[in-house]
Amino acid sequence: MGVEVITVSTDTPYTHLAWRKHEKELHDVKYLMGADSTGNVSRMFGVYDPSSGLSLRGTFLINPEGVLLNTECNYYNLGRNIDEILRKFKANIYMARKSHEVCPSKWKDEGDKTLTPSAQMVGQVHEALVD
Amino acid sequence: MCEVLVKIGQPVPDFELAVYDPVKNDFGKITLQELKSQKKWTLLFFYPADFTFV
Repeated sequence: MGVEVITVSTDTPYTHLAWRKHEKELHDVKYLMGADSTGNVSRMFGVYDPSSGLSLRGTFLINPEGVLLNTECNYYNLGRNIDEILRKFKANIYMARKSHEVCPSKWKDEGDKTLTPSAQMVGQVHEALVD
Repeated sequence: MCEVLVKIGQPVPDFELAVYDPVKNDFGKITLQELKSQKKWTLLFFYPADFTFV
């Protein structure tokens, strides 16, 4: 299953090139670096801060049909946790294949406990989780 | 803050982004429509600015 990761800021593509070449931390980066110089895409996703002209730390997962499945937005001073982003991404891919199952909060990866909601489970989620 | 056009569980309107592609070391453009036609999942990762810290 293919995924395109695109990092996006309101910088230009030229700045992206210069930053990637200059900053040694980025030498292994292979993601497309999106340049939203007008802020239009950031506005569309609600992460544009007009007081600074910058984008907040928003993460958006879109499935191959173009449907938005997950969002997260942090203010400037809080970094994102890649483990949690990966967890949500893996869960969404898993549930796209197994649409009758749901992933509980502690689900981390394929093979972990999922739930299959049913009339019998109403009021019995604790029992289903420890089962 | 601004007019938000996306909602969870709803289709995202098409958009176009200018990109720098580090693998090809070249500039280009990408649209959501292209990504959909390639059957790809898309993860957009917004951040404030190049040459900053976290």
